[in-house]
This record gives sequence, C-alpha cells and structure tokens, in this order.
Amino acid sequence: MSPAKQLRRLDDLLDSRLMSKLDAIDLMSRKIFSGKLQGERRSRRRGQSIEFADFRPYVHGDDLRFVDWNIFGRLDRLFLKMFLEEEDLSLVIAIDTSASMRAGDPDAFDYARRVAMALAYVGLVNQHRVSLVSFAEGRVERASNLRGRRKAAEVAQWLLALEPSGASGFEDAMRLVGTSRSGRGVMVVLSDFLFAEGFEKGLRMVAGRGFELFALQLLAPQIIDPAREGGVTGDLLLVDSETGTETEVTVTPELLRIYKERLDRLCGALRAYCQRRDITHMVVDTSTPVETLMLEYLRRRGLLR
Amino acid sequence: MTLAAVTWIAPVAGAVLGASILAPLVALWFLKLRRKRRAVPSNLLWVRSLADLRANAPFQRLRPNFLLLLQILAVLAIAFALAQPEAEGFGSTGGRHVVMIDRSASMNAVETGEAAGGEEGVTRLDLAKRAAKERVRQLLGGGWFSTNASDVMVIAFGSRAEIRAPFTDSIAALEGAIDGIKPSDESTRILEALELSRAFTANDRPDEVETALLADPPTIELYSDGRVEDLGSIALRTGERLVYHRVGEASSNLAVVAVSAERPPDAPDRIQVFAAVANPRTEPARATLQLAVNGTVRALTPEPIEIPAAVERDGQFIPGRAQVVFRPIEQAANAAIEVAVVEDDALRDDDAALAIVPPAKRLAVLHVGSGSFIVRTLLEGLPIERFASRPVSEFDDLVAKGELGAWDVIVLDGVAPKVLPAGRYLALGAPPPVEGLAPYGTHRGVYARIVRDEHPLFRSASLDELFVSQMTAVQVDKSFQVHAEAAEGPLVVSLDRADLHLVYVAFDPLDSNWPFQRSFVNFIANAVELLGRAGDAVTGRALAPGEAIAMRLPAGSRDGQIRLPDGSESKADIDKDGNLSYGPVRLAGLHRVSYLEPGRDERAERLVAVNIADAAEARIAPLENLSIGTKEVQGISVAESRRGALWPWVLALGLLVVLVEWWWYQRQIRL
Repeated sequence: MSPAKQLRRLDDLLDSRLMSKLDAIDLMSRKIFSGKLQGERRSRRRGQSIEFADFRPYVHGDDLRFVDWNIFGRLDRLFLKMFLEEEDLSLVIAIDTSASMRAGDPDAFDYARRVAMALAYVGLVNQHRVSLVSFAEGRVERASNLRGRRKAAEVAQWLLALEPSGASGFEDAMRLVGTSRSGRGVMVVLSDFLFAEGFEKGLRMVAGRGFELFALQLLAPQIIDPAREGGVTGDLLLVDSETGTETEVTVTPELLRIYKERLDRLCGALRAYCQRRDITHMVVDTSTPVETLMLEYLRRRGLLR
Repeated sequence: MTLAAVTWIAPVAGAVLGASILAPLVALWFLKLRRKRRAVPSNLLWVRSLADLRANAPFQRLRPNFLLLLQILAVLAIAFALAQPEAEGFGSTGGRHVVMIDRSASMNAVETGEAAGGEEGVTRLDLAKRAAKERVRQLLGGGWFSTNASDVMVIAFGSRAEIRAPFTDSIAALEGAIDGIKPSDESTRILEALELSRAFTANDRPDEVETALLADPPTIELYSDGRVEDLGSIALRTGERLVYHRVGEASSNLAVVAVSAERPPDAPDRIQVFAAVANPRTEPARATLQLAVNGTVRALTPEPIEIPAAVERDGQFIPGRAQVVFRPIEQAANAAIEVAVVEDDALRDDDAALAIVPPAKRLAVLHVGSGSFIVRTLLEGLPIERFASRPVSEFDDLVAKGELGAWDVIVLDGVAPKVLPAGRYLALGAPPPVEGLAPYGTHRGVYARIVRDEHPLFRSASLDELFVSQMTAVQVDKSFQVHAEAAEGPLVVSLDRADLHLVYVAFDPLDSNWPFQRSFVNFIANAVELLGRAGDAVTGRALAPGEAIAMRLPAGSRDGQIRLPDGSESKADIDKDGNLSYGPVRLAGLHRVSYLEPGRDERAERLVAVNIADAAEARIAPLENLSIGTKEVQGISVAESRRGALWPWVLALGLLVVLVEWWWYQRQIRL
C-alpha cells in the first residue's frame, strides 16, 4: 500500500481544475427549504421575489403591502399576493473522523475531506449556508454557517486540521446535529458506516427533521475486497484501528466469500434503511476520482445539478 | 542426596518419555502460527464473518492444508507411540500370564545370523529365555501410565513340565526362574504344562471353580519352535488364550535316530553296529558317519551316505531315513558305542547316538524244578557259562541267604517258590507269587489264538501248532504284557517291574505238544537270552531324555554318583537293597554311574546311554503357526519382537514428521 499523499493545502483538497468545474453546478434539493438569509435559491416560503406564486385570503396581521388591490376592486375581498422568496440553503456536511476512516488507499478519511471540500465549495459559491461537522467518539467539532466563496479557505483549514481517532460515536454526533441545527437543508454524511453500535439510531436522530439526507458510504477498495493486491491474506492478527481489539483470522476463500456477503448485507441494510426514511444512500469506492463522484454520480443521484 | 545415590529403574523409558514430550513441545513452539499483525479499519465485518463461518459450518471442512496434515500425522504418531503399541497377537498386558518355555532337544538348535540377532552360538533356548524375560518386564513394568500390572507364572517343559515360578508379580523372581531353566534333550509334550497352569488358574477358589476360570482366564505365552509332539491332542479351554512366540529359524539338521550293537553268536568278541540316520528336511542330504568306541573313533563311512528327503504322505510327515551297517569291530570288553554325524548342523545333540554293549560274557542259569528232564536238558544245551539245577526248597534257602546274585537267569520249571525276589525268571506252569498275577483255576484243551510274533520271545518260535491240554487260568494286571493268549486267557505273559523280570508260561510244557516242536527250543533260548540281557546287567537299553535311570546294584552298594554328558557330577540314591535311581535324565549322551560295592575300595562303573532318537525332535524347522484344536495361532517371531517394540519407531516417525512440518512452515513463511 503506497502512503497517501498528505493533505496540507486547499489545493490538496480541491484542485483548481475541479474547482472551476464545480463553479458551474449547484446543490439541488428535492425539497424547497426556507432559510434565514435571502439566498439564491427559491424557497417555498412566499416572499419578496418577483416570481408570483399564488393568492390567499387576507388575514389579520398580514402585510398590507402584498394585498392585491385589483382583485379587491373587482371582488371586494382582500387577497394577498404571494411571491416565491429566494432563500439560502443550509448544507450540513458530517464527516466521520473515527480511526476506521484512516484505512485503505486512498484512505477514506482523505477522500471524505476532499468530497467535503468539494461539496462545501459548491455550497459556498452558491451562497448557501454551509456547516461542517466532524464526529468521532466523544468529540464533535463544527464549523457553522459559512457562506460565500471567501470561506472556502476557512473550510479547507478546518478540514485539514481534522485528525481521525477513536471510535465513531455516530449516534451522539447525530443527536447533537439533529437537535442544534438551524434552518432546513441538505445534510451529507460522509462515513464508512462501519459502526459497532449500528447506524440506525444515529440516522434516526437526523432523519425526518427537515434535512434532505445523503448517506455517502465511503469504502476503501481494501475493505470492499480485502484480498486485493495481497491485502488481507494468510494467517493474520487483525487489529481493529478503533478499538484495538485483535482477531485471529486465517483468510480462506470461504471466509472471504462470507466477508463479502457480510459487507453486502451491511450495505444492503443501510440502503434499505435509507430508502424507508427517504435518505439517499450511496456506496462510494474511494478509488473513484472525486471529480467523477461530484460531476457524475452525485448529479445522477440528485444532490448536485 | 547425590545423583549417584539415585536408582534409575527405567532410565531409557524415562528418557524416551521426556524426549517425546520435550520434542513436540519445542516443535509446537516453533510451529505456533505466527500471524502477521495487520491493522484494519474495523474488525466488525471479520468478527461477524468468522461467527458466520463457525455458525454455518459446525463441521466445516478442513481446508487442505499440508501443515495441518503434518500436525495431525505427528500428533497421531506420538499418541500412538505413547500407547506403547505391540504387534498383534501379543495379547493384553494385564491379567494373568503363563510363560511356558520349551526346553526340549530341538530348542538346543544353534541359531545364527538374523534369528540370533547377529550373535554366534546362541541356542533357541537362550533366545526364548531372553524374549521371555523381556515379555515379563513388559507385563510387569506396567507401561508408562499403567497401574494394572499382571501376574506371571513360569513353566519350563520338555517331556515333563516343571513350574519354575508360581504366579507372582516380582520381576526378579521371574527372571531368576527363567534364567534357571537348563537345556534338556527331552521330547516336547505340552499337555502336562497346560495341566499345571490350569491347576493354578482354575482352582483358586475351589467353591467357584467355574467362575474362577471364566473370570480370569490366563494368557499362555508359549516360547517354542512349535515342534510339539502332543499338539494334536490338546485343546484350549474357554477363555484361555495362547500367544505363540516363535523361536528360531534354522532348519538344517540330521539325526542319528537308532543305533544298536550286537555280538554275533559266532564271534562274541566282536561288535556289529547298526545305525539309522534321519533327514527331516525336504531336500536330500549327505552325511559321513563315524563310529566311536569308548570315545575313540574306530570307523568312518567310506564315503558320505545319501539320505533321501522327507516326504508328506497322507498328512503324515515321514523323514528321510538311511541305514548304516558298520563292519564288525573287535571289542571283547564292554563298550560305549557312539555313532555320530560328522558334519555340523544346527542341532548337535541328536547327531550322535549311543549303545552300551556288555562284555562278551556268557550267562549263568539256575534251573529250579522237580526234575523235568526236557527243560533241564534243553537249558544244558544252551551256550551258557554256568548251569545248575536245584529243587525249590534249595531255591528258597538261597533266597533267604541272599545268594541269588550269582545267577543271571532262573528257570522255575513247574514250581512256585514262596517268595520271588528281584531277579530274572522264566516260570513254566506253576504261577509264581507275584503281585498282579492271580490264578483262578484251569482250562483244558486250548489253542493259542493271538501271538505277538514280533516280540523277541517268539523269534523263530511259532505257536501255530501248539495245543495245550491243560493250562492255569490266570488273570494279570496292567503291569503285565500278554504275548500269547488263548480264547480262555493269557498263555505267555511277561513283567518288567523295577528289577524283577519275569516271563511266565501259563501251562506246563509237558501238558502240551510244545516239547515236540522246534519252536519250544527256540522259545526257551529266546527267553533266557531276553531275560539274561534284561535290565542293566547285560545290555543297556538306551534311555530317552526324560526317563529315569534305575538299576539294581549289589545289595549294600553305596555312594552312587553319575557323571553327566556335560561333565557335571550328580549324586544318585541307592537304597539298602542296592536299587539305584536317578532322574529324570535331561541330556542325551553317556551317563557313567559309579558306586562303591560292599567290601571293595574301587568304584565300580556302569554305563547308561541316553539317546534323543526322536525323529520329531530332529525336525527343527520352527512351525509358523500352531494348530490347536480348531484354532490357528499365529506365531510371532521373537527375533522380530526382540528388535524392538513398535512404539520407538512410531515415535521416531512422529518426530520426523514434526521436523518436516517445521521445515515446511519455515519454507512457507519465507515465501
């Protein structure tokens, strides 16, 4: 396994070529969310844009400026003109910084940071509110409410400062995110979802709370196929990078078959869980170029346009 | 305590045990699977996969792993070795064992080469004793982890059996008993040995005879070459097991099975020697025979004689046989004639046979009777040294005075003395006072119906024409031999009881037509000759090993000694009447009996020949298997078992496998 190139600068996370390609795309949400700041995105909230949406009867307290006096003249009843208001979109990117992410080549952690950077960049340039959350056992770090292209460097710095360690603590992190979120929006979880305690409780904390959720399951090729390139073969003592527990295995074709079945089952369970809760699930092989992921796969899956 | 003060009972076993544990221990240390440490993001999937693998496949197939195969082999081999395996047929090591050691003549065969373990001059008996001692140690050593020791009994047998050690668990006692077994030239009869062992195994608790045998049946460990004469007549009882330890391999043997020497009537100073040589092998043989008189070689066959091969005919084994007649040799004095095969073979003891020929002496005959001229005249005409005729009253006086010793043969012609002391008698008509001979009346007009023509008494003496007008009706017990009988009862009987030799004719010749026939003359001459040579006084009938020497010496003789063929001296008992007895004799060869006669300072000497003269013993090729009743007992060669039990080889194999495994593992992890 060749050592991964260390990420030190923004360029390492997001090169200018991809950056220029990302300038042309925006986040897409099946839902229309309301935001706090006026953004470049239409919100379901009727507001002050010029795009007419609907009428509704006037009720006490409504802003008289939006009364359609023409209709009042014709019908002698007060109707309010309703316009689509353009609002900002909240993008929350949750990055798993547990030790298990530091595995494979390219490792899932670096890949997650690149993807986070790319997504955040798309959000920033489109004037969305971008929040970043890193989670590991007993440790949740956040960079909230970043907006505008200028914040890209700040996001990069934040991402570069992350260091994976410990177990995931997914459930606690999601509980925190779910309860303290401000605004509605899109949430992208970047993780391998290899949680000993399971992913269900964690996802339940954020599902159904107004987020359009994307679960990107980042798996290094060595996890998808452990025997690949002389990886996990023979008689081994496997040391869990999160818990340090040791497991003696003698890798046989039969065991590999069962392992793959297990992995398929895990991914399948996550997919099924996500489908039931309107979460978009996607398994990403970390050997997939970030550009391909951003410009093709995520577009196809409706996260970007 | 120093090491020198420590007694090591089984140092070899301890060392082997230590090595067998230590070596695998070290090997397993080497072989402990050294797994490479590999950090993985999460063990989650692996742990679950392993659980799946175990749950889904409780009897999961062992993956084809050469290391695993070698490990299994090594463990099996070491476990097998720890179990101290013995070759099939050795029987169990617990319970009761009767070690029976054949010490018959054929066990004196000298083994060479592999059968003797590379040693020279080792007899089968030596090998048997060695193997038996090993077996005793096996049985009583208890094995490495055994607490169930055995009880062992030792019996030595030839023609007779002898308990050398009763049931015991003392190795020292048993080894001493085995060491003490001396070779003999006896024939091989196992029945007595079996009966002896049964006496010890079946009657422990007389009130529970049946259950005792069934509950604790002995294992008979027979060390023999399998040439057992009475094998066909024995059968194993329920529960008895027999393990046949086959001793020896040699088969090359020739035997002098008969020798006889006679003085021709016309030349009593000469000795004519006849001999027979048997060849028990299936190919013809050639042999040179030598004739020795009193230890000096006097003649050799001019060229090797051809002895045909043995044949099997109707299931009977018939050894090849050749007769040899030597030219008469001049020898007036008594002589020990020995005929021997010159060539070496495996069994030397039966290569020679002896005959004792008395000096050219003529007989002294006493006629006791009422004056029948026919018998007296006839006796006077015989070529005898001295003759006298006395009435019966004088005979009784001679008996009272003890002066009968001067007469070789006494003819009781129609008279019955009051007592019949030891001596050689021909009694005609009146029944003599002998125990076992009971007269009960008379018969009239009888013919001889059955006559044992082959007996020397009837040499040229046919009774076909005999008519007896009146005979004494007698009844005889089993100690008598009946040579001729009429429909009404015995006509001619004989008795050889210790030193009393009697030929009794149950009718007075004058009451028959016998005196008119030539057979009467011949019969009287035959009887005098036979009686005159009977016992030891005249010619020594060669004894067979296992028989006893019994001879009548002059009353008052003392200090009897016997010089055995192996040169050792032994004391012989002589009772007050001068009866010497010794035995049973163990060895074939010349036995010199010497004693002091009353009133003489010089020791007198008599010679006794003991010959194997047994074609069955001459057949020394060991039997592969024994057929006892309907059972076939597989033989186990002691030569093979002596080379070692199986376990050291298995242990060695196990260790070798461990080494191969180590090498393979090293090779594998280097890759």
